[in-house]
Amino acid sequence: MSLLSVRDLDAGYGELQVLDGVDMDVEDGEYVAIVGPNGAGKSTVMKSVFGLTDYMGGEIVFDDEDISGLRPDQIITRGINFVPQSDNVFPGLTIRENLEMGAYILDEVPEERIEAVYDRFPILEEREDQLGGSLSGGQQQMLAMGRALMLDPDLLLLDEPSAGLAPDLVQETLDRIDRINDSGTAVLIVEQNAKEALKRCDRGYVLVQGQNRHEDTGEALLNDQQVRDDFLGG
Amino acid sequence: MSTRTEQDLSQLLRQFLLPATLVVVAGLLVVDLFRRLVTGAVGTATLATFLWDGVVFGMAIGLAGIGLAMTYSILKFANFAHGDYITFGAFAGWMVTFVVAGLGDFSLDLLVLVSGELSVADIGINVLATPLAIVLGLVVAAAATAALALVVDRIVFKPMRDADGISLLIASVGVALALRHVLLLVFQGSSRTLTTDVASVSVSVGDGAVAFGAHEVTLVVLAAVLMIGTHALLQYTKLGTAMRAMADNEDLARVTGIPTERVVRTAWLLGGALTGAAGFLIALESGTMNTSFGWELLLVIFSAVILGGIGSVYGAIAGGLIIGVASRLSLIWLPSELILAGAFGVMIVALLVKPQGLLGGVKTV
Repeated sequence: MSLLSVRDLDAGYGELQVLDGVDMDVEDGEYVAIVGPNGAGKSTVMKSVFGLTDYMGGEIVFDDEDISGLRPDQIITRGINFVPQSDNVFPGLTIRENLEMGAYILDEVPEERIEAVYDRFPILEEREDQLGGSLSGGQQQMLAMGRALMLDPDLLLLDEPSAGLAPDLVQETLDRIDRINDSGTAVLIVEQNAKEALKRCDRGYVLVQGQNRHEDTGEALLNDQQVRDDFLGG
Repeated sequence: MSTRTEQDLSQLLRQFLLPATLVVVAGLLVVDLFRRLVTGAVGTATLATFLWDGVVFGMAIGLAGIGLAMTYSILKFANFAHGDYITFGAFAGWMVTFVVAGLGDFSLDLLVLVSGELSVADIGINVLATPLAIVLGLVVAAAATAALALVVDRIVFKPMRDADGISLLIASVGVALALRHVLLLVFQGSSRTLTTDVASVSVSVGDGAVAFGAHEVTLVVLAAVLMIGTHALLQYTKLGTAMRAMADNEDLARVTGIPTERVVRTAWLLGGALTGAAGFLIALESGTMNTSFGWELLLVIFSAVILGGIGSVYGAIAGGLIIGVASRLSLIWLPSELILAGAFGVMIVALLVKPQGLLGGVKTV
């Protein structure tokens, strides 16, 4: 049984249905990328798993439990966390407060988790009393990931983590995600930088118009002539 | 080309001419004040009295503004029922104060209605003679207004949670009218006297003396305590941090797992309690109240909150003090009928220089 298993999922926003029968699996500790053209519903899959869209049918099973229709604050307790694409830190809160909010559902601030995040991203410890809004783009991305790691999730959802970053920071950010995955956390990522994501992932899904188009290992998708022609620019 | 020149001109105006003019005008006022003090046209005791009155009024407005700023920052709408929450708190609290102070000597129905027919001199309420009645009244004013804010939210605002700020504002005007007229129906419109004269401490200043009345001191001290308590709650508790987080970015708060509805309820609870306490203390200090005094204060409270940067709790306090002190100091130059004109003038000038408000952009809740 997969860690996450999405079957025949229909979802969207209000009257607008975006996803039409999407299937997707993430195994324990796996690194899975979703690629595809603009408007294919890549982010919508991820947001649906996290309870941020309107559920319209199908099945989302995580750790043998049906989580479809649950709210984010309920899903978080099951072991999934989510890093939104933009505006993903609280600018008026200190870095430490940002991390503490990531563990809001716990009764006490888990100091050992804060230490673990600081070990992973030392710059955050150096600047822990500064406001989130004072950080650079790359550092804000670190803080957002750190916040999402506060509950030590089994599955981390990342929505276009490299969007809006300078080119040299893109590699750095993706390297960090590799290391998070190396330490055992399963990763589901939507990435505009499709080639780079497919190089790094275990498996990838190509989504078109809200439906599954291709599914294979990252390497196989990179070498697939049709995928190359359609999405990767030859 | 012409728009480019216009932009340059308006920038020049904002960045240089306006501040320069303000500095010159402020300088002239200071020089004139100094001249008046030297020539004796204005005594130092008069000036000190104006300042003290300004601080009293400012602390009252600042305390009353916190709830408004808080609900604005969390729910993103201006609550026009806020003034009537102040009145509601005052009546709820004074009802209890009258009953506690007068039970046994006067008929209960008159006491409950805070009736103007009662002889205030016979009940003899003031903070020194009947402190217990005052304290109980204050607690009930806070508790009742917090409860009212939660009930109104549940009935009116919660079903509209996703509506835009203008729709919510209009709904709050409806709440304001309904609440005010219920109060009018129950308590009647006439103004009533609440307290008897209370002792004051005179401190001699220069050519005269400044009197610090016991009720004024009570208001200033309790308002300061409540403000410090609010600050501590916002900065050092988990729920307070969650309130600041939600004021920063509601969507991210939801994604982070913060229970946003609970934060909304906390904002109403806390904001309502402070608002009710403010209403009670303002009535204590002025010694009178009627069923529309909160509504009549709302314009000044809005000015203070906007001056401070709407949505900032600290801005509301700072704005309240500036409006309070400016309105009283303006009496040096203006007749007393124009007491609020000076305050509004200061607000307009401040917003010309810093349109986002003094602490606007610095999101503190």
